[in-house]
Amino acid sequence: MISAYILITMHPGKSDKAIKEMRQIDNVAKISIIAGEYDIVVRAQVKNLEELLDVTDKLQMIEGVNKTTTQIIEKEISLQ
Amino acid sequence: MIIRKKYLFYVLAITSSFIAAGVTGIDSFVGSQSAFKYDPWAFAFSLFFIGAVITLLISLVLSIKFKGKNLGAKILDPSFKQLRMIKKSEIKYHLIAGLMNAINTVGYCAIVSMVQDPSVILSFSQIVILYLLLMESITEKDVPTLVEVQSSVIVAFGAILASISLTGEFQLLPVLIVFLVVNPTWAVFSIYQRKLKIMKINNRPNDSINIRFWNVVFSLLFTAVLILIFDLFTSGSHLIAGFVTSIDPYYFLLLALTMGTTFFSYVLYIRSLGMGKASVNNAIRASTIIFAIPFSILLLQLGIITEFSTDPVMLIIKIIGMVLIIMGIISFALAVVKAYIFIDVETGTPLRETMNKLWDIRGVSHVSITSGKYDFIVKVSTRTLMKGYERIIKKLNEIDEIKKYHWESVLKDWEKI
Repeated sequence: MISAYILITMHPGKSDKAIKEMRQIDNVAKISIIAGEYDIVVRAQVKNLEELLDVTDKLQMIEGVNKTTTQIIEKEISLQ
Repeated sequence: MIIRKKYLFYVLAITSSFIAAGVTGIDSFVGSQSAFKYDPWAFAFSLFFIGAVITLLISLVLSIKFKGKNLGAKILDPSFKQLRMIKKSEIKYHLIAGLMNAINTVGYCAIVSMVQDPSVILSFSQIVILYLLLMESITEKDVPTLVEVQSSVIVAFGAILASISLTGEFQLLPVLIVFLVVNPTWAVFSIYQRKLKIMKINNRPNDSINIRFWNVVFSLLFTAVLILIFDLFTSGSHLIAGFVTSIDPYYFLLLALTMGTTFFSYVLYIRSLGMGKASVNNAIRASTIIFAIPFSILLLQLGIITEFSTDPVMLIIKIIGMVLIIMGIISFALAVVKAYIFIDVETGTPLRETMNKLWDIRGVSHVSITSGKYDFIVKVSTRTLMKGYERIIKKLNEIDEIKKYHWESVLKDWEKI
């Protein structure tokens, strides 16, 4: 299983509709709206890089998405 | 389905409390039965003996696959695959949780045998939240903040008010049992159940159904040992009495009902423990008091209990207590600040060492080493931004390997369930 954070910058005023569409995408485990350099962080959990490409592809097709930056997780420690 | 994680956490904890309130009602009836009224030891043994049987049966049913996914994963915990053998890494935690649950249940059975109204039984046990806050400040990475302490105290006192009985006389022994036996053991039990839930088993999150099953097995083992020792010292026969009562069809069905229902309450509780601290979970679980009141009225209507007052003063006190519980829970829910921190480190620094330094910071819930623009993505939770600065930013500044970082506060989030 591969996990990745996809950091998204949005065009202003398009976030609500975009998030509704993001929630429909398979392999999206978590979506956070954030304040700062990026607007949205999506956490994807996929079986292989091909599936990760599908997720980023679908994200980039959503109206209002300006730019995506993908960070693949190599190692992780978490409380949950 | 992707929903807000916070909602799921509260739904799980509150549903668990609702079922627990029903269980307490059934337990009061069972505890008043002649076989158990004067023998809480036999009651505790019978609970776990039949509990182990019924938990095994339910877990096996939940392991049945239906359209490629088992029933347990569909309706209770998505992490559940099937009933499995215990792992070596889990044994220590199960031993402690099992021992605590065994002692707790003996204490609980003693109280149920002494007091009639379940909403009174539950009262002082809500102080457990304060025990948990104290223990978490020692065992967990997150020291309680002022908001947590305030909310917990509001909930605990609200729970006491909501469950006070003006008609019942004050009984010292049950209150002592609650303070010295039930509360400390429940606090340790909750912390270790949480430790089990957040463990990874075969690279998957541990599931609450297996945790519950093995907890009942260990609790049965410890209860039997404790009663055996007690019997040997007092020349009693509580263990045999418990066993004989367990195989009586009437009592078997009664206890199967209570332990079968308890199973669902605990599985949801353990799952919610995986999402939030034990103290916060127990604060939400104080809503059991509110749910116990309709069950108490029902038992009163059925003539099973007699000690429940409908005096207006009494009702006003109970309503004030309920309002306090709700206020406390809401203030818990609203007072959380979460953030992502994106970190770049100097080249040539060992990432694993830096990872451990980041993990040691209080309030850090995830540390990920990533490939791409950033070397680390860290997720943090704190009750206030000021605490975030005091506990997290200051500590980040002390890590020499960090070249630059930026904090991005989470405004709202959703998570797949």
